[in-house]
Amino acid sequence: MRFFLTHEILSPQLLDSPAAGGFATFEGKVRNHADGQAVEALEYEVFAEMALVQGEAILNEAISKFELEDARATHRVGRVCIGESAVIVQTAAAHRREAFEACEWIMDQIKWRVPIWKKENYAGRPSEWVSGGESSRPAEFEELYDRHIRLPEIGKEGQLKLQNARVLLVGVGGLAAGSLPALVGSGIGTIGLVDPDTVEGSNLHRQTLFAQSDIGRLKVERASALAKRLRHSIQCHPFPEVLTETNAFQIVENFDWVVDGTDSLDTKFLLNRVCRSLRKNLVTASVHRFEGQILTITPDGPCLECMFPDPPPNHCVGTCADLGVLGVVPYFLGSCQAVEVIQGILGSATLTESLALVDLRSLQIDRIQRTRSRLCRLCNQIDEAQPEQWEVSSPDEMPHAALVDIRDLSETPCLALPHKRIPMSGCYDRKWDQPTIFICASGVRSYRLVADLRSSGFSEVYSLRGGMQSLISRHG
Amino acid sequence: MITIRIRYFAVLRDRRGLQEEHYHTQCSTVEQLVNELIAKYRLGLPSALIRVAINSEFVEPNVQLEDGMEIVLIPPVAGG
Repeated sequence: MRFFLTHEILSPQLLDSPAAGGFATFEGKVRNHADGQAVEALEYEVFAEMALVQGEAILNEAISKFELEDARATHRVGRVCIGESAVIVQTAAAHRREAFEACEWIMDQIKWRVPIWKKENYAGRPSEWVSGGESSRPAEFEELYDRHIRLPEIGKEGQLKLQNARVLLVGVGGLAAGSLPALVGSGIGTIGLVDPDTVEGSNLHRQTLFAQSDIGRLKVERASALAKRLRHSIQCHPFPEVLTETNAFQIVENFDWVVDGTDSLDTKFLLNRVCRSLRKNLVTASVHRFEGQILTITPDGPCLECMFPDPPPNHCVGTCADLGVLGVVPYFLGSCQAVEVIQGILGSATLTESLALVDLRSLQIDRIQRTRSRLCRLCNQIDEAQPEQWEVSSPDEMPHAALVDIRDLSETPCLALPHKRIPMSGCYDRKWDQPTIFICASGVRSYRLVADLRSSGFSEVYSLRGGMQSLISRHG
Repeated sequence: MITIRIRYFAVLRDRRGLQEEHYHTQCSTVEQLVNELIAKYRLGLPSALIRVAINSEFVEPNVQLEDGMEIVLIPPVAGG
């Protein structure tokens, strides 16, 4: 139990959370005036069964939204005198910010969702029931996105597409300052954020996601706090790590669109390869002093290597840190990236077969047509990889191959042939240089694993088509 | 001798010190021109990393130059 109703005088309780460093307490007290009238006391009436259920739900939602260690709230019922607390909300979080933000959010939700009415007893006048819900109703889908829904190009159907979309931002800096608030505001339902860095003072002129007080904090953590403040319903997945060959497939796999906001050519070309292999959409942008470039890569369109067949060495052209950049340039290009993602989710993006060169000194935008290059090694490699060749229909096809059952340890029945059992998540960190057939329940997970491993360069891995089911049906 | 208009972007603009220029040359292909510019203005990138566009389309290095053409030189850009 986290939410309580009581007739007794309230006082804050001690929250015992060794993992928490920030504890916030809000007390709502009865004041001696309301709308210019002198008030002597308040009386609270409650529909207790529902209030307890709603209160409990609010606190549990707050714990998951704000990653709290603990949260508690108590509301008085009956007569409450001037100066006494009518409600107390307490939160405990790793850091103070989440504790403060959650406290305010919980209070707003209590006022809106918990059925409590208050009667003000005035001096020398009949008392009156007044609305407990002083704060405005939390806005609903139709209201939040009304101006989108009015656009024939979006409508309610399009808005639902945006809500169901999963967008990954790699690099949470200057470009993300333009893309993240735009994407969250537009109603994207799930956002992932990848960046290993902490906020530095020299970031702030362009990375307007962050305040001076954020210096030293993890960028992904501050950016997800901002996203949650903009939209409480958003699902935010922070990855405080560098994107590498090892983790890229696992991270990107869970998203539909990837927004490249990094300042590393290596990462841009890595994302190009990963998105190509996993058939994800990628909007990549880069900035240089007063100008920038932006393009969108779709599974069947021209890719980055079609344009630059030899991926350039990382430091051949310098970065913002070397060359300087006008603060609003990445913001502008990041906003353009958001437009591409939104249009892509709704139907088709603009820059899938072109490159836009944006010069903010002159406000000139040039678009250069891009086409798929017949000589692009990456495109050819992926086109040639015939998915049929990744599958075997029976272990007998490859008698020398090792068998690996990648189902969770709890899944039955056991494979009757000699095999190793390594759950799927454990398969990514190993080397697979010997011929190996992966087996799961139906052949879906093993196929995905093989696709990932092949993208990482292992060419001797195969998936058993139909998985355990096919073995059982074949052998009875 | 032909005259073409050249536009530079990003790091190439910095290294050339110009946004655009009219340029007289004896070169007959895009590839020759790019190599000439790299040597003459110390552009600091190999020709493989400089993409060339004519009439808003990327072109291959063996494309013939013509008098009065406008060509755009596009390097990779990294900042974010």
